[in-house]
Amino acid sequence: MEYVTTKSKDVTLLEILDRVLDKGVVISGDLVISLAEIDLIYVGLKVLISSVETMERLRGAPFASPMQEPK
Amino acid sequence: MRIYAYAVIDSNSKITAPINGLEGIGVYNISYRDIGIVVSEGEQIQDITQEHILKHEEVVEKLMESFTVLPVSFLTLFKKKDDVLLMMQEHYSDFRENLDRLRNKVEFGIKIIWPGETIKNRVIEASKKLNANVAIADNTPGKSFAMQKLEKYKIDKEFAEEADRCIALLDDFFSRFVTEKKLEKLKSDNLLLNAYYLVEKEKQGDFKEAFERAKNTPGDLKYLFSGPWPPYNFISLTKKSSSLDYLNTKDVFTKLVNNLDLTEKNII
Repeated sequence: MEYVTTKSKDVTLLEILDRVLDKGVVISGDLVISLAEIDLIYVGLKVLISSVETMERLRGAPFASPMQEPK
Repeated sequence: MRIYAYAVIDSNSKITAPINGLEGIGVYNISYRDIGIVVSEGEQIQDITQEHILKHEEVVEKLMESFTVLPVSFLTLFKKKDDVLLMMQEHYSDFRENLDRLRNKVEFGIKIIWPGETIKNRVIEASKKLNANVAIADNTPGKSFAMQKLEKYKIDKEFAEEADRCIALLDDFFSRFVTEKKLEKLKSDNLLLNAYYLVEKEKQGDFKEAFERAKNTPGDLKYLFSGPWPPYNFISLTKKSSSLDYLNTKDVFTKLVNNLDLTEKNII
């Protein structure tokens, strides 16, 4: 997918996951939030933390924006 | 037929720019009074993939170029247009308030990683030195256990206080350019700070500059900066929906987990 550059794709995906899954306008409130969703969020954040740490260690540079190459 | 929602916007007009949503289907605006909700129509999605998530975000970011947006969380589906309108009616005042508050503002994310283990070890060493000077008069098992518990509590407390001091210094760099913020401390020993900042569009440059200054300060902190994002973390709804027949997304979420295969090995 060209929209997201390859190098930052994984971190970008995790940053997006952190936002789109349970934040923003959660219209359906308690009705639709299922156990499956909670598990997913948990998994997402856990991986996010370890991934960010590793990526940072390897690269040593911050990411410029969600959809751009790091500077 | 399913109606898939991307974002509530501060306009009841047609979307003029062609924007494709999930499954490549064009999005359009369903108006309600002076606002609208941008949606696309399609059949039930069989296999949820990473591309669907990225597409959702892509649509919201494109809308953000022209409107104030309230991004709708991923996989918000309706069966028919009437349900969408009912929902808009139910939440109109909330949406209106949020749109006014978030106009011309964007979200930034900052994650700061510190050497948590090293710092914890330093705290432990300092504590040991202190205790070495204290004579233990009574070292019965019961007392010893209580002492260990107390010691752990003290170490955790000192560690957290060290984090607070560090966060206060860092946050000071960013806060002067933000209108709202959300800070999460020590989500893991190494993730010192996970912060979301709401920034006026015209102050983006100042904010980024402040970040660069903080980043260039000597030290062993690592930084991850992202944005500008739609204001996912700054939407507050007072009303929860209760009466509508929303689609149960449990099954698709289970599929999503399987398809994403979010293992550490896979990502790194």
